[in-house]
Formats: sequence, C-alpha cells, structure tokens
Amino acid sequence: MSLDAIPIHLIPPGEPGLTGNAPPLLHELLEMVNRLLASGETAAIDLSALPLTPADLDWLRERLGEGEIAVTLLANGESTLAETGCPGIWWVTHHNEQGVVTSQFLEVAFVPELVKAHPDDVALGRDHLESMMADL
Amino acid sequence: MQGPLIDTLARRGVTRRTFLKYCATLASMMALPPSVGRAMAEAMAAAKRPSVIWLPFQECTGCTESITRSHSPTIEGMIFDMVSLDYQETLMAAAGHQAEEARHAAMKENHGKYLLIVDGSIPLGIDGAYSCIGGRSNLDILKEAAEGAAAIVAMGSCASFGGIPKANPNPTGAVSVSDIVKDKPIVNIPGCPPIPVVMTGVLAHYLTFGSLPELDAQGRPKAFFGETIHDRCYRRPFYDQGKFAKTFDDEGARQGWCLFELGCKGPVTHNACATVKWNGGTSWPVESGHGCIGCSEPDFWDGGGFYKALSVPADPLKIGAAAAVAGAAAGVAVSFANRAKKKAAKAAHETTTLDDLEK
Amino acid sequence: MNELQFLTWVRGPGLDIAVGIFLLGVLWRLIEIYSLGRKKDLAAPRHAAGASGLHTVFRRSLPPQGMLKRSPVSYIGGYIFHIGLAIVVFGFAPHILLIKNLTGLSWPALPSQFVDMVAVVTMAAMVVVLVDRINKPVKRFLSTFEDWFTWAVTFLPVLTGWMAVQHLLLPYTTMLALHILSVEILLVVLPFTKLFHAFTLFGSRWYNGRINARRGVPV
Repeated sequence: MSLDAIPIHLIPPGEPGLTGNAPPLLHELLEMVNRLLASGETAAIDLSALPLTPADLDWLRERLGEGEIAVTLLANGESTLAETGCPGIWWVTHHNEQGVVTSQFLEVAFVPELVKAHPDDVALGRDHLESMMADL
Repeated sequence: MQGPLIDTLARRGVTRRTFLKYCATLASMMALPPSVGRAMAEAMAAAKRPSVIWLPFQECTGCTESITRSHSPTIEGMIFDMVSLDYQETLMAAAGHQAEEARHAAMKENHGKYLLIVDGSIPLGIDGAYSCIGGRSNLDILKEAAEGAAAIVAMGSCASFGGIPKANPNPTGAVSVSDIVKDKPIVNIPGCPPIPVVMTGVLAHYLTFGSLPELDAQGRPKAFFGETIHDRCYRRPFYDQGKFAKTFDDEGARQGWCLFELGCKGPVTHNACATVKWNGGTSWPVESGHGCIGCSEPDFWDGGGFYKALSVPADPLKIGAAAAVAGAAAGVAVSFANRAKKKAAKAAHETTTLDDLEK
Repeated sequence: MNELQFLTWVRGPGLDIAVGIFLLGVLWRLIEIYSLGRKKDLAAPRHAAGASGLHTVFRRSLPPQGMLKRSPVSYIGGYIFHIGLAIVVFGFAPHILLIKNLTGLSWPALPSQFVDMVAVVTMAAMVVVLVDRINKPVKRFLSTFEDWFTWAVTFLPVLTGWMAVQHLLLPYTTMLALHILSVEILLVVLPFTKLFHAFTLFGSRWYNGRINARRGVPV
C-alpha cells in the first residue's frame, strides 16, 4: 500500500494577519526623530518585546523602506544594522549562530551604538599598531 | 580565572561587540529599555566571579537540563562558566565524600558570599526521610547551606512553590525554599522547567549590580514575570476579536486563533515564554498550538485541569441537583404551610390588617 | 491562600455552593409563589379590546403617557443598564463558555472591545440611577437597605469584571477571582431579594393583565 492511499491533507497554517499594532510605532518613531534632531538624543524601540505578527513587521519594513547603507556584524551569529528609507532610523536585527532572530530593534541615531568602536578597544588597537610599527 | 568578565570573555574570543549584542538581547528579554542593555554590558564586563553552590532536592533534574542545554553553548554557557560552580551533583565529577567535602570547603571559604541555587522541593514528612543525600535530610542540608549564603535562587516551580511534589494530596509534605528559609533574600524562578535565560538574567543582574533583581509579590523577578502570557501573546488580538479555536484540529486552530476555550491559562500565568520563547527562540507552547498550563504559578497542578477554560468551573458542580430537589421540597412544604394557614385564618374569620399587607 | 488558590476556590467549591443555593432558592420561591392560588372568580368574564395577560407583559415595558418626561432617569437609565447587563452577561466570550459548560447552550460571542464599551455605559447608567435615587427625596424615602444592597451586588460584578479585563488596581488573577466571587454573592442573594424580579417579572405582569382582562380593563 502506498502512502498516497492514506487520506491525509496537509493544510499550510494560515498566516496571522495584521493586528493593527504597527501603525502607532510610526508615531513613536516620528517623536524619536524629532528628539534626535533637536537634542541629539538617541532612542530605540524593542520590536521583539511587542506583540507584532510577521505580517506587522513586513508592513513596517515596507513602509520604512530601504536606505543607502547596511552594516553587517559577524559576532555570535550575524547582525544587520540597515538604514531605512528614513535616514536616522536603523533596522537592527540580531541573529544567533543558528540563524534565528534573537532580537530586533528600531534604533533612532545618526550612527547605531554597536557600530562605534569602544575607547578601550581603540586603545588595544593602538597598542597593536605601535607594536607592529616597532617591528618594522 | 580571576579578573573582570570581559577579559575572560576576550580570552575565549568573545569581542566587545558580541557581548554588547548579547546584552542588548538579554535586556530585550528582560523587558528592559534598550538603553539598559548598554549599561548592563558595561557593568557586567567588569564583574568578578562569585561562588555558587547548587543543591538538588525533590526534583526531576529538568531544571538542570533546561539551563545546561540552553540554546547555544556560547555566551549563556560562558556566563554560567563565569560563576565558580563549586557543587552540583549532576554536573560535578566528584562523588560521595569528595563531593560533600567540596561543598563544605566552598561554604567555609566563601561564607556569607556564595550564591545558593536550589532546585526541587523539600519534604517535611517523617522528619524529611523522603529525600536524603549522604544520610542527611534535605531540610538539614538546606538550613546548613542557607546559613552562609548571600542570596538564594529557587530554580523551578518545586523549589519556588513546592511544585508537583506538593500537588494534592502532597504525600511527602513537600514545601518550598521560602517556607523554610526566612532570613535570606530569595529569588524564585518558577517554571516547569524555568526559562534558561531567566537564570542567566538573574545571574547577570547579580554579577552586574551585586544584588537580586526587583521581585514581585511571589518573589519572582519582575523583568520576566511582570506580565502575563496572555498580555504578551501574539494570539491576543484574536481573543479581543472573539476568535477562538474550539478543538485542537478545527479551522480556528489552523488559523492560529486564541486557545482560551481549550484551557489556556495564559491570562493568569506570569512568565516570559511569549517573548523569550524556547529552544533558541524557535517556538513556545502557544505558538505550537497548545494552551499555557500555567507552570510558573503556585499550585498550577491543582488548578482545575489543563484543558478547562478559566471561565468554566474548576470542579463539576456536585450539589446543584441535590439543591434543586431540596429547593423544590422546601417550596412544596412552604406552600402546604401557607395553605394550612390560610384555611385556619378563614375558619377563624381573621381579618386582614394593614400590617399583613406590608409584610 | 495565594491568588491562584483563591481563583481555583471560587471556580470550584465556591461556584458549586453558589449555584446550589441559587437553584434551591429559585425553585423554592417559584413553587411557593405559584402555589399560593386564588379563589375562583365566579363572575362572568367581560371582554375588552387589548385586555389580556400578554398585552400587559408588553405594555408594561413601555412608559405610560407622560411618565417618560416626569422621570426620564428611571426609564432611560433603567433601560440602558438592563440591556447593557444582558449584552455583557450573554455576549462576552468567557461568559458564553461558562453557560455552555453548565447548560450545553452556546452562541457566537461579541467582540470584546464592544462588550468592554457596553460595560462602561452600563456602569455609568447604574451610577446615574443611584444618584437619582439619592437626590430625589421621594425615591430616597421609599428606599430601604435592600435597595442599596441589591444595587451594590449588581454593580460589583460589572465593575470587577471590567477592572479585571482592563488590568486595573489588582493583578488580573486576583481581580478575576473577586469578579467570580461577586457573581457568586449575586447568585446567592438573587432568589431572596427583589432581584428575584428576573424570574417573576413576566409572570406577575401576565397575572395582573389576566385578572384585569376578566374585568374588562386593559392595563
């Protein structure tokens, strides 16, 4: 008997639709961008902490669009920090090593925090540079 | 392996950005604002290594499994490595007298400073004879170890609230850690099993600030247990729209509608499953189509059944039929009494007064 | 007792006791009232158009001429909160689930936001009716302890239910338990107070209409 004889119908799970939770985020982003322009204050929205469906996230991504620059960070899995169509708003996605999204943020800043080098690390780099030059 | 955490991490090839990224995710999971992630990374990077003693009592080792098999053997595991785990029966190589000696040595050396982790409940029946290690009752060992602890972490529902051993009729007389230890700060991390990252989060907080995180009335970290499953559930909109799965295989279930009618205890369960998820963020019970059973709440085992909706009776109504019969009998009896009274009044030619009418 | 044990108690033994007393009381009082009987009316019945028990059942639901203007709060407020209560009690999904569990009957639920709004309107109407009762000297004079008490036991389930859904004041678990407890108090007192009108209302209207119809008077 072939497996086809068994009447099992696979029904793909229906994608939960839009919840209406995404549009208010645009207002919050507007407020954050205004603050960034006025005082340089950076801010972020934690997307993984909000009840958003994949459809909501797609809606947001579509509205915000794509910008000119995207930074890829390879650290404990890939992270992408992509500017959206609205400069100053960055879509930050952290993946773990299995490629699963662990957290997602919308960061409002001129440059995302994670991109900047830490002074301690810069100092280490200088030491390395110095020792390299001494060996020349 | 002394010195700040960031140096130890760096020796293992973990860069600052990797660590920052981890802390951002951890802060997100702890429902802390994104800015706290950076503060946490900075503080934790400089933290020192505390001594930890882990005592297993009436438990199933599920809690140990949960933490030691947390998704990637990377930073979470490393932070766990950061602590000096001086006694953990399941994980330690030493056994018998050697293990007991290790515990005593750690307790003596770090008196007043070590972190005590307990999983499992403590039986009080027949002088604690239901669960003994090395000939001593759990109660005895806990009291001894708690005395010199800086703080105690009750891992899992059994240590936090008594859990399954305490379920009705509680044959062993099981109690929670907080039922016994009253003079030490205790943080409860309930769940059956608890979410690994909650453990890491509490450890991170302890390493960062040297204290336990803010706790709710049940002694649970507010960051993870501050909101109910229901409030953070991605199926919540369907509850509000009145769309419910009626069985586990109907159209509603396929559409991913709310599982309230199938007994989901999400509305009364405080835990972080809805945001943190399980197995490296793969899924969690409600996402896989099963309602929450409320495992992080006290006495969840005796909550009236996992598949009964919260709004229906926890037990079948037993006295309803008997009460109806009794009511009917009372009604009939009273009506006979009334008729007899009327007859008597008529026979005696009683007159109706204003008082009678006002009755 | 922790909050979950409290909830489990009100969902279990508490509900059992409350429903038991409710059934006992309702059957007792219905049998007692309907078995009172009445002497046979030997006079020949008269007939008048529009005079019957059924007519009275409907007619008494409408305000008599001029009365709506004289006490609008009683009529409009009364209508709003009775209809509101019916919508909240019979339209909210968890309530329907309870009814289904107890009786096997079930029907589609209303969206919870709508029920939420109706609950607010119902509470507002009940408060207005209460204030009217306090402000009008005649109403206040006629009011007894029972009137205040029954208002409170009717109001509390709506208030606690709404607060539970809105996550106000107390944790949801505790509020839900208090909500169920308040409903149980309502169930227990209903058969023994004026709230029993839920059962006797149409019966007594029909009875009055019927007697007056025999006399040829439409009421």
